Amino acid sequence: MATKTIRVDYLTRVEGEGALDLDISDGRVTSAQLRIFEPPRFFEGFLRGRGYAETPDIVARICGICPIAYQMGAVHAIEDAFGVKVEGQLRALRRLIYCGEWIESHALHVVMLHAPDFLGFPDAIQMARDHGDAVRNGLALKKAGNELMRTIGGREIHPVNIRAGGFHRVPTRAELRPVAESLERARDLAVGLVRWVSTFPFPNFEQDYEFVALRHPDEYPLNEGRLVSSKDIDIDVADYETEFEERHVAHSTALHSLLKRRGAYLVGPLARYALNFDRLSASIQALARESGLGPVCRNPFQSIVVRALEIVFACEEALGIIAAYEPPDLAAVPVEPRAGTGFGCTEAPRGICWHRYDFQADGTIERVRIVPPTSQNQPSIEADLVAVATSVMEQSDDVIRDRCEQSIRNYDPCISCSAHFLKLSVRRL
Amino acid sequence: MRNLDEGSGSARKILVVAIGNPDRGDDGVGPLVAIRLAGRLPPDVALIVRRGDILSLIEDWNGCDALVCVDAAGPMETPGRIHRIDAVADALPRDAPFASSHEFGLTGAIALAHALRSLPEIVIVYAIEGACFDGGAPMTPEVVAAAAEAANRIVDEVDQLRRHAMETMPNA
Repeated sequence: MATKTIRVDYLTRVEGEGALDLDISDGRVTSAQLRIFEPPRFFEGFLRGRGYAETPDIVARICGICPIAYQMGAVHAIEDAFGVKVEGQLRALRRLIYCGEWIESHALHVVMLHAPDFLGFPDAIQMARDHGDAVRNGLALKKAGNELMRTIGGREIHPVNIRAGGFHRVPTRAELRPVAESLERARDLAVGLVRWVSTFPFPNFEQDYEFVALRHPDEYPLNEGRLVSSKDIDIDVADYETEFEERHVAHSTALHSLLKRRGAYLVGPLARYALNFDRLSASIQALARESGLGPVCRNPFQSIVVRALEIVFACEEALGIIAAYEPPDLAAVPVEPRAGTGFGCTEAPRGICWHRYDFQADGTIERVRIVPPTSQNQPSIEADLVAVATSVMEQSDDVIRDRCEQSIRNYDPCISCSAHFLKLSVRRL
Repeated sequence: MRNLDEGSGSARKILVVAIGNPDRGDDGVGPLVAIRLAGRLPPDVALIVRRGDILSLIEDWNGCDALVCVDAAGPMETPGRIHRIDAVADALPRDAPFASSHEFGLTGAIALAHALRSLPEIVIVYAIEGACFDGGAPMTPEVVAAAAEAANRIVDEVDQLRRHAMETMPNA
């Protein structure tokens, strides 16, 4: 029996710490395990016994790159439990700050973390010597996203201005004016970014994913929508647990999420795009087609193009919101706690982020469940790894290793969020 | 904290950046030095504190001629020992590859700016050895004491940078 072991100790250019074990037996990949060894972070435990008002500031600490996702999931769940509706300009402001998070998170991943894979560089620093303008533009995009988050959220990392019912303080029109100016430039840079990444060499590789994303009647999804899939799922976010389950696996400190009826599914940019292409503006649809994409993309390596398209979307959406902005009279609508259960689900940059909170009558949290996007994508990442490693099986271990790492980076995984990520070892048995 | 473009009357745009997270033990020494520097720098010298997104530093120092950074250094032998490094003349140690955005530190930002040819012509780094970087941990007394000394040295450094610039001005 032919056996071989390839080992990569740490996956680079991802958020968090993990490893990958590949078993190869008689020329066949028999197992691919994404081994997440970052310690569990116990946020759900920290929240028990806390007041509802503390939640947005605690969950923001789950991630420095996508804190808005956690804050929005939490405030939507709180408002769902307490029967509160946030509408009008406050709702628009929530969508606006989420645009900032998409811009900074996607720009960081597309330019600094993922692009070097396609151009043969070990990292963005090496890439910067030959592609300086691209890196400068990526940094400018990230800065624009950060500026938007800082203006509304008080600071770009772990924003402090989000609360149940709205915000602690709303911005003035004058405060948003310079943000709009940088977003105008960012939109042009993002269009250029789409054109640049669409020229990258993509492996001929497709997977038959079941896409899962939010879908809203008239918007590309950020904060709200029904939970839909490319097969037969079309449910309220409150019914998530009827279709999805989490399982503990020995090789990961992050729970694996699976469809109860069908197993692995995919969340994130490819899923959002495929399920909501018709919600993108005509100009972005045209840019997607110009970049070689149809309304559905099943090649995970091309997720870099979809992320870049989503930066364009976020810039345009943000500019539209700012143009129509009228500061509301109240920074937040009144919130009165009551006993009950609330659900929230929003589109983090990496995919749906689902929350459930059980409250006592005074708003004290009894129980929490938070399902981050990376834990939902783990089974799909492992399925991709089996297929990708199989496709390059006859090549050197270095090629297998590089392609596998790149496959994982296709997902922009946030291991810190999911451990709630990578050493790679390949065993040819 | 002042904007870099504000109040510039010097021949050289100087930026002082203090880096660190006060909630992570000795990592807070950079912001503590910034507190010790309050009111002691000339009005044309900008002072900023960065706690998280180190990548944004590259945009922060864009257009400045001289950069003075203060940051905590990983545990070595002597907590509180201050290292002065000329980051243009001397290569900063790069312990790890550009591993992740979470690990993108000052050395990575300087290397990236160097590759982009956007590094200021003078970059001085004051690195203060820490001992404990645990979440919520108090700062080590030796590191707290070093913050005052580092602030004094940065005031002198800035003064020298400004005087040198004045002396080398064409009309000086």
